[in-house]
Amino acid sequence: MSTIYERLSTVIIEGNEEKVPKLVQKGLDEGLVPKDILDKGLIVGMNEVGARFKRGDMFVPEVLMSAKSMQAGLEVLRPHLIASGAKLIGKIVMGTVKGDLHDICKNLVGMMCEGAGFELIDLGFNVEPEKFVEAIKEYQPDIVGMSALLTTTMRAMGYTIKAIEEAGLRDKVKIMVGGAPVDAEFAERIGADGYGSNAPSGAELAKRLVGAA
Amino acid sequence: MRTNYRVNSGVRFQMLSKDQLQELFEGVLHVLEYTGLDVHHDEARDILKKAGAWVDGLRVRIPSYLIKRSLEMAPRSFTVFARDGNPKHDIHIGPGRAHFGPGPTCPNFIDVETLERRPYVKDDVPIVAKMVDALPNIDFCESLGTVSDVHHELGATYEFAGMFPNTSKPIVAWSYSWDDSADIHKIAVAEAGGQEAFEKRPNYIHYCEPLSPLVSTFEAMDKLVFAARHRVPLIFTPCPLAGGTGPVTAAGMIIQAAAESWMGLTVAQAIQPGLPFIMGGVLSVLDMNSMILAYGAPELSLMMAGITELAHYVGLPVWQTGGCTDSKTLDEQAAIEGSLSCFFSALTAGDLCHDVGYTESAMTGSVFQLAMMDEAIGYSRRITRGIEVNEDTLAVDVIRNVGPNGHYLYEKHTHRYYKTEFWYPNLCDRRNFEEWSEMGRMTMRDRVVARVQDILASHQPSPIKPETEKVIREVLEAAEDRVKEEA
Repeated sequence: MSTIYERLSTVIIEGNEEKVPKLVQKGLDEGLVPKDILDKGLIVGMNEVGARFKRGDMFVPEVLMSAKSMQAGLEVLRPHLIASGAKLIGKIVMGTVKGDLHDICKNLVGMMCEGAGFELIDLGFNVEPEKFVEAIKEYQPDIVGMSALLTTTMRAMGYTIKAIEEAGLRDKVKIMVGGAPVDAEFAERIGADGYGSNAPSGAELAKRLVGAA
Repeated sequence: MRTNYRVNSGVRFQMLSKDQLQELFEGVLHVLEYTGLDVHHDEARDILKKAGAWVDGLRVRIPSYLIKRSLEMAPRSFTVFARDGNPKHDIHIGPGRAHFGPGPTCPNFIDVETLERRPYVKDDVPIVAKMVDALPNIDFCESLGTVSDVHHELGATYEFAGMFPNTSKPIVAWSYSWDDSADIHKIAVAEAGGQEAFEKRPNYIHYCEPLSPLVSTFEAMDKLVFAARHRVPLIFTPCPLAGGTGPVTAAGMIIQAAAESWMGLTVAQAIQPGLPFIMGGVLSVLDMNSMILAYGAPELSLMMAGITELAHYVGLPVWQTGGCTDSKTLDEQAAIEGSLSCFFSALTAGDLCHDVGYTESAMTGSVFQLAMMDEAIGYSRRITRGIEVNEDTLAVDVIRNVGPNGHYLYEKHTHRYYKTEFWYPNLCDRRNFEEWSEMGRMTMRDRVVARVQDILASHQPSPIKPETEKVIREVLEAAEDRVKEEA
């Protein structure tokens, strides 16, 4: 007989949006520690999803279903986590930069980060540099994530980082960037802390940036 | 419900018009009726005479009614079965179905360890058969070589004995003569469970090759008679060289090759009415600079498309050609020539496309070329599968659900189709630069070599019956005794 933790990882890998919250509830009913349900069940499953994706054994739509089922589980778990005083591995503020109306990629990275155990504050798309600055002040995140799909808008990432520097907040946060035209060299040039080439690697990067990987 | 609704399933390709095909057809009938062929086989000439052909010394001319009757008797559709009963390895020959496999008899082979060219040896046979068995887009097996390290009359016997246990995909068996044809047949029949069981579920195809221009050699006819008597599906495929052993023009080549092939058809149907018969042959140009038969020439694909259309016009399956190259190594030329001929062959739905894995103008067999072409065939097959149009694939409701500025990645519709609507490569690289770089910056050639070595290290073909293993040992011993006695 497999444990609830093992079954949770399995249904996360399967991307079963219905079973995950039910199993989380069952775990809570049986008196399991909320943080254990997260760490030993949900996150173990998501880690395996990331590994399989990297090997080419899972496809993006499957990864997304896993992330979505992870979110459904977190819906149930979150109040108990907060009540028990457990901390998530970190907080991320994320947005598509000014001038760019595309947000699929950013949404995917966001989901994967939530799946990895982060708290996510999504600023949406076409986000002005000042908005990022305000959000850092308000939410005090560990990480700021920026995305752009167009070569014409990727420069706005640089301007945003500059605005964060000018506000004296640069050393308060790690900055990660991504999106189709972005690469590691560009990320370094504009002074970001890291670059993710796809959604799962974005989540991996986030974990590394907070020292959780 | 739809009414008077026409569906085009897959991509359609048609080169010659009905009028042109009829003209080619009549050209073949004319050659057979008025010029005829030399048939170097007494019994075959007797059979032809009895059937209604005119025999004058070696020369045999066939009246057109007899050709038409023979065409009528040969089936357009039939099945060649996997020896182990695995339905995925059966080959259903019929309209719109293209199958692929290697060719026979190259003198050299690219060594799978050293990647160097050297003579083809007995131990290469299981390697080729295993690769065929594992590669998803390769459907039938030939050996890619002539075994050089056994008695010169036993190459084909050892070849079949090496292929049969290492793939359950149907084998196209090449041989020298009656004796080794009989060796091969004994092995296949043992696995099938007797001659009668074999006739119900044939597990290999017999391959014979007449000589161009217009000669049915003794060996080709003798092998044909053997196959027809034992009801083995038959390929009868000439290999004329345009401008050398065939007319320089494509239309003339098609006519001559068809005439050469249909001489075999007539004999085969006279012996065994309804015998599955696959017409050839390999049509390409004699390169007037290098004097080679060009296996990477565009005219090969073009002439093969022409003879495929003629074959289908008269209701016969065809022995197509593709996936081959004149290049000496696994390079860009090999990829261009091989891929384009695979794609063109797939478009024509030529029934059995062989010579996949030929390099150096058929002088060297290569499982690396074979593995690279497996990818090209998969790619081609995705295109020829076409676009399916129905209520569900139109996706009008899904488009409404998602609306402006949404995305389709969560849609059940996406999940239902993304694995079947899209083709996923095994060898072509689609990673971004960083990941490609991290994975060692492998080129296509590197990835092909890795895939071949991976398959050879891990693939396990389904085994043959223990009694067939015994029969193989007996057949090889008897064959060795036979050549000793002859000496």
